[in-house]
Amino acid sequence: MAATTAPDGRAGHQVGRSLHRLEAREKVSGRAEYTHLMQLPGMLHAKIFRSTVAHGRIKSIDVSGAREVPGVYAVYTSEDVLKVIPDPYYGPAFHDQPILAVGKVHYIGEPVAVVLAADPHVAEHATQQIVAEYHELPAVFDEVEAAQNKTLVHEELRPAGTFADLKHLKGRRGTNIALDFRLRRGDVDKAFAAAAQVFEHTFRTQKVLHLALEPYASIADFRDDGVTIYSAAQGPSFVRTEIARLLRWPENRVRIKVPYLGGGYGGKLYIKMEALATAMSMLAHRPVKVALTMEEQFYTITKHPATLRIKSGIDKDGRIIARKCEVWWNGGAYADIGPRVTQKSGFTASGPYDIDNVAIDSYALYTNLTPAGALRGFGIPQLVWAYESHTDMIARALKRDPLEFRKQNLLRNGRPQATGTILKDAAIEKVLDRIADRLNWKQPVDHGTGTVRRGRGLAVALKAVISPTTSVAIVNISGDGSTTLYCGTVDMGQGSDTAMAQIVGEVLDMPAESVRIVPRDTDVTPYDMGTLGSRSLFHMGHAVRLAAEEARSKVAALRRELGEPDGSNAPLAELFLKKYGMQAGNIVGTGTYKPDYIPPDASGLTTNATPFWMVAGSGVEIEVDTETGHVRVTRLINVADVGKPINPKIVETQLSGASLMQLGFSMFEKMHIDGGQITNASLADYKIPGMHDVPRVMENETVDAIQENGPFGAKGVGELATFGVSPAIANAIDDAVGVRLTELPLTPEAVFRALRAKANKPLGRE
Amino acid sequence: MTPFDLVEPHSFEETIGLIEPDDPDVRVIAGGTALMLMMKAGVFRPRRLISMRKFASSLSGITATSSGELRIGAMTPLSALEHSPHVSRHAPVIVRTMRRLSNVRVRNVATIGGALAHADPHMDLPPVLIALGASVCVVGGAGERTIPVEDLLTGYYETALAKNELIAEVRIPAPAAARSAYCKVTTGSADDWPALGIAVTLAAGGATVKSARIAVSAATTKATRLTEAETALVGSTADDGTLKDVADIAAEEADILADGRGSASYKRELLRVYVVRAVRAAMQASGAP
Amino acid sequence: MKIAGEITVAAPRDAVFQALSDAPFFASCIEGVRDLKAIDATHFSAVLETRVAYLRFNFSANVEITGLSPPEEIKAKIEGTPLGIVGRLTAAATTRLIEAGGQTVIHYEIEATLTGKLGSMGQPVLMAKAKDMEKHFTERLLAAFAAGGPGVAS
Repeated sequence: MAATTAPDGRAGHQVGRSLHRLEAREKVSGRAEYTHLMQLPGMLHAKIFRSTVAHGRIKSIDVSGAREVPGVYAVYTSEDVLKVIPDPYYGPAFHDQPILAVGKVHYIGEPVAVVLAADPHVAEHATQQIVAEYHELPAVFDEVEAAQNKTLVHEELRPAGTFADLKHLKGRRGTNIALDFRLRRGDVDKAFAAAAQVFEHTFRTQKVLHLALEPYASIADFRDDGVTIYSAAQGPSFVRTEIARLLRWPENRVRIKVPYLGGGYGGKLYIKMEALATAMSMLAHRPVKVALTMEEQFYTITKHPATLRIKSGIDKDGRIIARKCEVWWNGGAYADIGPRVTQKSGFTASGPYDIDNVAIDSYALYTNLTPAGALRGFGIPQLVWAYESHTDMIARALKRDPLEFRKQNLLRNGRPQATGTILKDAAIEKVLDRIADRLNWKQPVDHGTGTVRRGRGLAVALKAVISPTTSVAIVNISGDGSTTLYCGTVDMGQGSDTAMAQIVGEVLDMPAESVRIVPRDTDVTPYDMGTLGSRSLFHMGHAVRLAAEEARSKVAALRRELGEPDGSNAPLAELFLKKYGMQAGNIVGTGTYKPDYIPPDASGLTTNATPFWMVAGSGVEIEVDTETGHVRVTRLINVADVGKPINPKIVETQLSGASLMQLGFSMFEKMHIDGGQITNASLADYKIPGMHDVPRVMENETVDAIQENGPFGAKGVGELATFGVSPAIANAIDDAVGVRLTELPLTPEAVFRALRAKANKPLGRE
Repeated sequence: MTPFDLVEPHSFEETIGLIEPDDPDVRVIAGGTALMLMMKAGVFRPRRLISMRKFASSLSGITATSSGELRIGAMTPLSALEHSPHVSRHAPVIVRTMRRLSNVRVRNVATIGGALAHADPHMDLPPVLIALGASVCVVGGAGERTIPVEDLLTGYYETALAKNELIAEVRIPAPAAARSAYCKVTTGSADDWPALGIAVTLAAGGATVKSARIAVSAATTKATRLTEAETALVGSTADDGTLKDVADIAAEEADILADGRGSASYKRELLRVYVVRAVRAAMQASGAP
Repeated sequence: MKIAGEITVAAPRDAVFQALSDAPFFASCIEGVRDLKAIDATHFSAVLETRVAYLRFNFSANVEITGLSPPEEIKAKIEGTPLGIVGRLTAAATTRLIEAGGQTVIHYEIEATLTGKLGSMGQPVLMAKAKDMEKHFTERLLAAFAAGGPGVAS
């Protein structure tokens, strides 16, 4: 390992180094461990028989055909699960999702029965021999329709009790609304009445998928005294708590081991396959692996489609004086983390603008579709799509420059955000200015002539981080001075291990490359709320810093105890040798971090909504082929406020990766749904961006900023560059050809239809 | 995927002998890139696969006759076409098509015979081969026969091959100063299957189009020649007025289906635009790959 | 998926209605239907064997006539299960007969949903197949009437 130290033994600053990811070699040489590839002795493979109706009562499940297939070990349904786990419902916000369907099915693709066999192909073949009969019930797929509560997905709501603001929903019947977040600031009605002009627009987003290249995978090895679960999980601590709850066991009998993840993006949060694997291992008395196929990912968890209605009142000077936002989140059949998405994104639904009168209504809805959860942005990309399109539409209607109109209304540090929390360390204006500078905004655009038209657009956004959450870390210095970090943040490709090692190295004055990170194992690594919502670098970063600082003070105390002169730089190994007479002993530092937070009151207001604000935006230059509607993004600029980057290189790759992911969601990714059935559930028909989709010019930049309360001035980055991409492109399309798209994705056909409608020659629907 | 038998005969004759015409679950496999996808998806569950791998070398290779006709063994991998000096000289449009045909991993394994026998309407080579006037030499129970590619493809995954017939060779006639172009139009990612494919081969005498072959794919259930559009083009100078007529005739002539990649009405508009672009590209084609 | 179309038959409406509401005749116009069994006057079962090249999809189907308004409208509900692969086919079909100067225009609309494995991944090819079957149905129907009516044909 290329650990470098200066001749004086000092390692120098580790924070700010553009270090390559520590695990890069292991990954590119194919040696990194992934759950999907793991095998245990005696292991059985589970294959899932899934529902073919969107909503129905199970009349019968005939598994005899599957049992007869040679090589099948067992076939189980919820009847069997109930024998070992009497209350088999799980979920982070609601305990609504059964391990296998009990009595009813709620979406096409829901797990109904499982076949176990030593050979996965045998198990898969056997699932095809299962026959289930259903009494079909009316189903609801659209979020706005679901809000009318005419067709009900669940008879009764089952909140988990984990979140205070969900408790009032316990036992509620006759509703599909899993949470209604409400924010009232000032008096919107009065302000609308006083406004010179009022604008109202409705936007929609589609159902899209995380599509990690490593599909969901868990292996459970259940023994009478405990269960070990190997899982591709973003939140091992949550998995442990939830499995312990299902088993009615203390947490210390549940062990979750997480190797590297082949991507997560929010999909592998909370419980996914772990509960099913555990139940199967309990029944079979053998280790059981549940490893999904690409197709099955479409039936596991998706992003939230949403309908968003925004209304703004503008005074005669062009100031936004009132904004009303209504958001309907299509949560699918089980709540997963949807209610949190609804509330947390609700905080900033009115955008990065200084508006005195704000009303926000955000509804989490059950529908008969694959459940929806967190996906790189926790609802924010959907909101930004709406409010930054809306902002541009208003500016154009007012014949104002979209940049100037934004700057006039921008929320600035020291001013209260919609929740009432004062904005601090949020470089919104800097980000916006940098995007405009890079786009050379002051110069007019050459829109071109003929069949290729050019345009540009930008968008900027604000997010409150998920709060309050806790992280714990342990730093352990061994007798030879080598140092190990135990932290539950899961490295799923975002480079967190490297960043955490840099923090340890910075505090203890050692090269980051020399710090070893213990693979995630809840028997060893302490609690962390989860690798989600760009929270890790801030929260775990602080915990790691605190742990390292505690170790550092213990080292200092040891130096004093051993009579080392002040400023002594004797190597750590020498201190241990002196103390114990041989290479022995440990110095252990621990750190726990939980920022302050005040939950919103009944009006959605709080003076402390978030420990830090996330700020980012995008600018694009595009070309539109007016004959076909094809849009080519020729330049994509992402600018973010990440505070002080711990590792500038990784920050850059995070920005580019997030923006490309959002580029796919903006331009073409869409789960096609027909009668509740996803009809393009394969990589042949559901396409994500490839190399040829990367814009010719991509620029990723961070503004000069410091997060005062962040570890070494830093804050999170993972989601940031997803925020502005979609509206920036829609704004650029409007700029180029004068049509406005209000629904994602911005496919060539959608653009073409809009162009034809504008020319008064609408294209037939055939 | 469910278990299946894999047999690997050593000759073409042996392969034909192993085919069971009455059992569609016994299937011959060449490169297998398409078939494996169908098997992994569970749509096709063969009982037995007969692999041509063991004697692939005897059925691979690209030669050019003295007259300039290309003869390509059925088991020739697509990447061999991509890098062949013969193909580059006599049918440069194929080399250009390869750049956006799936990816290098698939091109290294997939074969030209397999690409035709699979008959997925979204594939890039069939319309190009139709436009080039290619035919296949087929060997089977009834001996040997030659089928033009346009007649080989009869529907979605369907061909005119008898159950015990296999493609042995693909023949592309001498170019005779023809110019060709292929336009692949995707509506999803750049590497998506096309929503529309359109291939054009023209022979021009001076500024006048002397002959034309136009083939459409992906938007239709099979790669199909657009003969009425061809007729409208021949004899013209491919001027704007003619091309507009050609576009309208093509849009009228093609039997276009809607799918996840676009509605039928949109794909018809794409055809209208791209038939013109393909003709123009062919007119300007320099003969460089 | 939605399939809709029109067929014009050179026969009076009553005769066309008669023919279309005769299950064995109707089934004989659909490619691949076998083992048609009448359970009662409005319920039938059958096996539908669809072939796309070397791929075979067999459905065991139950058909219920849900509305019969002579001589104008026939409504039917179809529920099928593919054999050997998890899935389900449901369809609601409405057929309307319109008199057009001695001829009859058959206007049909089928709203079909295919779920499970075939629904996930098989839609493009099965849509194409459905189009084929539609053409085939029209041909057979017209042929039967051209030959003097379904009574003669069957």
